[in-house]
Amino acid sequence: MPYLQQLKLVFRFILVTELLLLLSSCVTPVSVQQIGQLISSIDKKPTIVLMPPDIRYYLLTASGMPEPHAEWTEAAQSNFQKALLDYADVIGADVHIIDRTNNSEAGVIYDTLHSAVGMTLLQHHFGAMNLPSKAGKFDWSLGPGVSEIGRMYGADYALFVYYRDYQASGGRIAFAMLAAVAGVSVGVGTETGFASLVDLNTGDIVWFNVVNAGQGELRDYSNAAAAVKNLFHNMPTAAQ
Amino acid sequence: MKYQYLLFASLAYALLAATSASGDKEFLDHLISPGYEPETTRDELGMWMELQDFERKLNQSAMLVRDSDINDYILEIVCRTAGEYCEDFRVYIIRNPNFNASMTATGMMQIWTGLIVRASSTDEIAAVVGHEIAHYTRLHSLQRMRAINKRMTAGSIFDIALLLATGVNPSLGQMTALMSVLSFNRNQETEADILGLQLMADAGYDPHASYSVWEHIMEEEAAAAVKRDKPGIFARTHPASVKRSKYLNDLIFTSYGPPASEAVTDEKLLTILNKHYLFLMEDQLDTNRFGRTEELLKRHHAMGVQPGLVYYFYGEMYRQRGEEGDLDLAIESYHHSIKTGNAPAESYKNLGYLFLKIGETTAAKREFKTYLELEPNGSDRAMIEFYLEE
Repeated sequence: MPYLQQLKLVFRFILVTELLLLLSSCVTPVSVQQIGQLISSIDKKPTIVLMPPDIRYYLLTASGMPEPHAEWTEAAQSNFQKALLDYADVIGADVHIIDRTNNSEAGVIYDTLHSAVGMTLLQHHFGAMNLPSKAGKFDWSLGPGVSEIGRMYGADYALFVYYRDYQASGGRIAFAMLAAVAGVSVGVGTETGFASLVDLNTGDIVWFNVVNAGQGELRDYSNAAAAVKNLFHNMPTAAQ
Repeated sequence: MKYQYLLFASLAYALLAATSASGDKEFLDHLISPGYEPETTRDELGMWMELQDFERKLNQSAMLVRDSDINDYILEIVCRTAGEYCEDFRVYIIRNPNFNASMTATGMMQIWTGLIVRASSTDEIAAVVGHEIAHYTRLHSLQRMRAINKRMTAGSIFDIALLLATGVNPSLGQMTALMSVLSFNRNQETEADILGLQLMADAGYDPHASYSVWEHIMEEEAAAAVKRDKPGIFARTHPASVKRSKYLNDLIFTSYGPPASEAVTDEKLLTILNKHYLFLMEDQLDTNRFGRTEELLKRHHAMGVQPGLVYYFYGEMYRQRGEEGDLDLAIESYHHSIKTGNAPAESYKNLGYLFLKIGETTAAKREFKTYLELEPNGSDRAMIEFYLEE
């Protein structure tokens, strides 16, 4: 089974890479803002709960096999959480962080659903394969069931983050150079990511943005802070 | 294929020769100590992180069987077989009617319910468990990941070099690498078979179960109405059942002697099967593999699973298969089930439906009434009452 899992990893990598190619070839901005400002139903400062960010770093080995990188991944996850907490004042909301070792059943289910919905809308809303029946309308939702998370944490919105970063190893770069001499082009790493703000009353995605190419470095704090600022710059804020 | 058998045979004989000299039965050693933690190497830490993340998600899965008696039963087998490694494992029972079990480098073990319905004894489960534990204590996942990486790199470089030298790129290097990885995998499986056998035998389980489990898989395959074009999930990455059964058989007879002549009733396994038979066999029936289901029913009957339950599923199998003559066979089977005095309430209900189908309304109503008496809070009560009023 681990062998199959590794194959699956390679396929997922190919899918992500192709998605990125699809995206880079279109000119529409890959961001959407459905609401003007954040509102709390409980008549106070709005609360955003940050789901455990689905951030992963991989090392592309010489053969092109992605190898999960624990140190980078853990640093990136904690830098991202810290950077978002520091950015909470700009948003004007209380940010509540969920520890990944303490996620609920609903949390796990909606994390997985968010990855699938996010990938789908990258492909079929912003990507080249538009769904004719949607007629360009942005009405993507995780469904009202997600309100369970709102009740659990007393939150108005949930923030879901997906990010994959494939860094070429020295061996991979050397191999790419050798291949280039032979006239073959091989991949030397990609990064792709997106974030959604979900209204916990309705489940609707009220804001969505992708991580721009070259702006997703999360392994040290100062870069992560810049990446967070870049990712959330057009997210609705609370009335100040 | 022949080559592999020869390789195995020579390996086994070399090991046997060594053990007969030293007088004990140790064929292979564990490579790690109990309570193993990953080293600080990058690839191993990365693999552990991914697996731990997967396990957190698995913990919340709707496919997990959470009944404590099934979990306790399997856990006891795992602990007894694992000995001092017991604390290293977390066992997850997955609701899936296919035959499979797996182990990760982190000690996360998955047992599919399809394994439990196919086992004819606790010893057979221990055989599979021993095999999986051996994968863990011999660091097979890590070694496999490294082997794939190394070989694919070498293969890719070879291909580019060939392209530079000749101008053609037939991917020879990568294909060779892939073949070599597959053979590497099969060698690991053979290792796990040998060490697994040793573990379960040392724990006091019947070593002969480790080939009988494969013989049963072959019997089921022979009984299949539609033969597989491709081998199942487990067989694709494991040595073929026939060969596996043969070499384990040889090894066991040489080192442990012939099997005990009298079969003993396996009370623990029977208790689990009797208690959970309805959901376990419903899942199996849902695969629509009627030939295989019939083979399992035959086996369960011989093992001593409550006949009322087994006959009920014979009825279900015939009713769902719906070939010529199956209607009568189904009615007969439900009757058999009811005659045992231990029939599930569904026997009456489904018998009622069949009577309805052939126009015997009075008989149908009689069965439906009995069903409602036995199952007054059934979710389909309103539906059954509707038929009764007609």
